[in-house]
Amino acid sequence: MQGVPRQVSHGHAPLSGKQPVWDLPVRLVHWTLAALVAFSWWSAHYDHTDWHIWSGIAILTLLLFRLLWGFVGSSTARWSGFIRGPSAILNYLRGSWYGIGHNPLGALSVIAMFLALAVQVGLGLISEDEDGLYAGPLAPLVSIERSDWAHELHHLWFNVILALIVLHLATILFYRLRGKKLTGPMVTGKAAVPSRAQPMRPAKWWVAVICLAIALAVSRWVVAGAPPFGS
Amino acid sequence: MTMRVHVIAAAAAISFAAAGLAATTLPRDKALAVMHDRHEGMETIGKTNKVLHRELDSATPNLGVVRQSAAQLQQLSRKASGWFAAGTGPELGKTGAKPEIWQDPKDFSAKLAAFQKAAQMFNDAARRGDLAAIKARYGDLGGTCKACHDKYRMDMHH
Repeated sequence: MQGVPRQVSHGHAPLSGKQPVWDLPVRLVHWTLAALVAFSWWSAHYDHTDWHIWSGIAILTLLLFRLLWGFVGSSTARWSGFIRGPSAILNYLRGSWYGIGHNPLGALSVIAMFLALAVQVGLGLISEDEDGLYAGPLAPLVSIERSDWAHELHHLWFNVILALIVLHLATILFYRLRGKKLTGPMVTGKAAVPSRAQPMRPAKWWVAVICLAIALAVSRWVVAGAPPFGS
Repeated sequence: MTMRVHVIAAAAAISFAAAGLAATTLPRDKALAVMHDRHEGMETIGKTNKVLHRELDSATPNLGVVRQSAAQLQQLSRKASGWFAAGTGPELGKTGAKPEIWQDPKDFSAKLAAFQKAAQMFNDAARRGDLAAIKARYGDLGGTCKACHDKYRMDMHH
């Protein structure tokens, strides 16, 4: 990041040097999720349904991990750190926000993306294709009619995800045009931050390992067909 | 000896299935009727398969339902020989059948015959009632469905 970045809605808050803003798990989840969402679309479109189902399971694992990391991860990863009320959003829009990580407005986008993906995974898990040849691991837990309904909605719901992706990319472009680069920090984890901002409090690496182990265990349970392993 | 009988039976099955693909062009209304039958038939196969899928996944499958579904699948699989007459592809109307079916009729007929054979063996297993055998034959049957659909079926929604 060359020169002095003009900050969006940061007023003229002085910037200190590059500081950590995103920990490694947040960045890994972000880019893996982006790749898997793209792969999920591709595999569904080109009828690689078995790969599509595994891609969905992998996304489930990432979402579970991210959910947990939002409680015990680094300060900028925590839900409590960035989910704020309407007054915080208004303050941000007026230019008086000096934090790091997700700003109060961007936090809404994070929540929307997380929920939209969670809904999509949930629908996929109980879906069955019209030939009855491919089904999500939890499809036998619901009726055939419910699976058909979920399958239809799974198709339609992708448009919601697509809309959020477009919003996400448009926002990155918007900030970029105003001099703030967001993609670099999501790669390197570091950004120039307002000098009066609280520095990121990183979490221990082994906490991430525990979160991942739990996420994998729950996913494995889902793959097995949930409750007592199938209906 | 039995080997030879099997080979002859398989050859007969393939030529029987291939008869339906003969290049005699049907009149338009007849061709549309074939497409309609195919669509209805395939839809019923799909629905029956879903019922079976649920039943065989459950801890206590209802053998009556399995038998009924297996018999229905076998009947429909036999009818399938008449569902792919030449001229009933996407050039005529909306269908999930890919043009490749009529470009490689030999391979398609072999796959259709494999499906019919698997449906028969599954029905036989269902009649005998041994659950392990039923599940094994159901797996084989699903394999023949996928083998054909991977190559010759397209999504009708797009």
